[in-house]
Amino acid sequence: MLTKRTILLGAAVMLAVLSFGTLAFATEFPKAKQIRMVVPYGAGGGVDISTRILATPAQDILGQRIDVVCMPGAGGQEGINFVLQQPKDGYTLLVTDYGPLVTTALTEEVTYDLSDWVPLVQITEVVPTFFVLAESPLKNVDDWVKAAKEKPESLTVAHGRHLSVPHLPLILFEKTAGIKNTHVPTSGGSEALAFVLGKKVDIGASVPSTIASTVKAGTMHPLAVCSLERVATLPDTPTMKELGYDVVLPAWYTVFAPKGVPEETLKILEEKFIEALKSEGAKEMAGKSNVLLTPYGRDKTVGLYEGTISSLKTILADVKK
Amino acid sequence: MDGLFMQVLEGAFALPVVLYTTVGVFLGITVGAIPGLSGDMAIALLLPLIYKVSPAAALGMLMGIYKGSMFGGSISAISFGVPGTAAAAATVEDGYPAKLKGYPMQAMLTALYSSVTGDLLSTLLLVFVAVPMAKVALHFGPVEFFALYVFALMMISLLVVGEMKKGIAAAAIGLFIGTIGMDPMMGSVRLSFGISSLRGGIPLIPLLVGVFAVSELMIQFGRECASRSAKKVAEDAKKAEDLGIYDPAKDRMSLKIYRSTFKATLIGSGMGTFIGALPGAGSSLAAFMSYGLARKMSRKPEEFGTGTLEGVAAPEAGNSATAGASLIPLFAFGIPGSATAALFGAALIMQGINPGPMMIEENKVIIYTLFVIIIYATFINLVLSHGLIPLYAKLAQIKACYLVPTVFALALLGTFASRNSLFDVWVLLAAGVLGIYLRKNDFPLGPLVLGFIVGPGAEKALRQALLMGRGEWMFLLKSPIALGFYGLCILSLLLIHFSVKKKLVEED
Repeated sequence: MLTKRTILLGAAVMLAVLSFGTLAFATEFPKAKQIRMVVPYGAGGGVDISTRILATPAQDILGQRIDVVCMPGAGGQEGINFVLQQPKDGYTLLVTDYGPLVTTALTEEVTYDLSDWVPLVQITEVVPTFFVLAESPLKNVDDWVKAAKEKPESLTVAHGRHLSVPHLPLILFEKTAGIKNTHVPTSGGSEALAFVLGKKVDIGASVPSTIASTVKAGTMHPLAVCSLERVATLPDTPTMKELGYDVVLPAWYTVFAPKGVPEETLKILEEKFIEALKSEGAKEMAGKSNVLLTPYGRDKTVGLYEGTISSLKTILADVKK
Repeated sequence: MDGLFMQVLEGAFALPVVLYTTVGVFLGITVGAIPGLSGDMAIALLLPLIYKVSPAAALGMLMGIYKGSMFGGSISAISFGVPGTAAAAATVEDGYPAKLKGYPMQAMLTALYSSVTGDLLSTLLLVFVAVPMAKVALHFGPVEFFALYVFALMMISLLVVGEMKKGIAAAAIGLFIGTIGMDPMMGSVRLSFGISSLRGGIPLIPLLVGVFAVSELMIQFGRECASRSAKKVAEDAKKAEDLGIYDPAKDRMSLKIYRSTFKATLIGSGMGTFIGALPGAGSSLAAFMSYGLARKMSRKPEEFGTGTLEGVAAPEAGNSATAGASLIPLFAFGIPGSATAALFGAALIMQGINPGPMMIEENKVIIYTLFVIIIYATFINLVLSHGLIPLYAKLAQIKACYLVPTVFALALLGTFASRNSLFDVWVLLAAGVLGIYLRKNDFPLGPLVLGFIVGPGAEKALRQALLMGRGEWMFLLKSPIALGFYGLCILSLLLIHFSVKKKLVEED
């Protein structure tokens, strides 16, 4: 029965509950609620694992629960849009590489501008690597360039998805070296590896973790890596830069906050996350998972973000034609 | 060698390990039985656990979940006609009619035994011949995959119960739905009508659960509502009389039944192991192809679809056989053969074990321990399921007006939780409506799913092959394996042609 008493009681309860919400609003970060780190990829992937390596020690340091939420829908755009729709209070963050965030924004219509994101902390980076079968007649990058110049498009390169992390450096390399190859897009590093192993293509492009085991077994031979310095897990593999080709395009895994989060909150997140990445716990997990930690703060990540955007703009300008 | 043996036994049979594995199997069966929830989800949710327990215990639990869920899906497939997992969709075809005819226990136990057989066979293959088998799998490049997919699409004709043209139409619809989203080569978005959520295409699980489960639930619910009318009540009472009351004494499993379905089980095991070892093919494909092949090779093909136990044994053996087999390319080369294998690979990486050719060499103790755990997990599955089946069978007898909303709610929840996506839930509901329409008009659902699964893979393989062959179509024939598959297709076409002709002649 909807009596006056019931209505007053209901209003009182409502006010009481709402005031709790306001309390939460006024609470110091990060005490109000749990933090969510959104990964625009499926569970179990590289970004997911790296995020967990950060989130696990960070929970204790921040004193607040951190949930790693994987939202691979719509090629990662669902996760990105989700973060954008949440209140900009620092409790919902994005962890990603440049693929869904930057590449998609530069090639398709998306709901945001690249300036809507504030890079915070970089967890690690993966380095695009070119590889061939150990028994291949191509022993190094020079052999590759020579063969490609003699017969353009005669060599097939398997590289993961179109415009993915290993594909873009391939495009850049071909432009720099003035060669043309036949690209074979695949569903990812594993398929590229399988095709090279099965002798279906001549060269593969992926990241070190995919080929680590076969390299160690001696079946696979990495030709070059596309980073500034040699990769720790492949100490004998030269960088493209060493060989004279300016192809430096590592893929960072970085934590982003949407624009609009208060500066003090950003400072807290940056400080605590770096502390988490330097902790023993993180080092142990990273060591187990073969992840090289790069605890960079905003002084570096902002520059890297902008650098990647301009590199990608250059590479993609050619592709669009 | 002796020391290694003892270490492995100690590690594999340590109490925490056995406990975690058992919990994993129980979780897997339960999760598998709930439509919308899948073993993959449970594994993904439990990944953080890996850092906290011993490697053997963690991996044992994940393996347990995987195996449990492969069988679990068939429980609800048989009990409610609603596949608990994508892989169980083929089990519904004969499993549910079997329940309606009064022998759900036999059906479920057949499903269990053939699951276990298929699982065991492919696991033994994994343990003993991983590397040589993986080498065979490597021979499959785009040209061979395309031929395989063409053959799979041909199998659709073998699956069709009823009018073939409706089956082909359903497959075409499935192929069409599969083209929505980014194309596999250039990433250009197709048929999204500007809706950004469609960019990634239609996700498999919501589509499958929607088309099979939600439609079935809605129809059952409709029946419940309709049966409130007195006339309907009288009709149903008459039907029940004709069928006879459920007689548990007649619904027992026996060695005779196991033997009679053994051929189907073997076919499923073989098909499942083969498809499982091919990266990317999947357990649903294995289940459907096992079903199709078993039907073709059965002495009583006309019984398929009416509740024959062969039709339950084959797909169940098929999908369970992919469990061990999909780990083959992972163990041999570090290439996961399925999404679950990929999760498993992630779990291994998190433990510091790098999947690939060096993995067994470098981690002898843990890998051999893992092999032992994988084998005994199968037996834990057998024992637990035996105990759980009567429980779940009783659940199936709960009145539809309570059961349907509960299963429906669970399916909705499970679908959302899988990828944290509300869009998936909309797909689930829309697919449910599509499913109702298809069912009411006698379109078979299996071909739709097959078309949807095979389409994108076939397109990718074709375009990759053409790229590698520089645009020459003849490149598609430059492989003995591919020619073999095309030969099988032509053979199947001829067989169908002559059997149809024979039927027409007989009818005269």
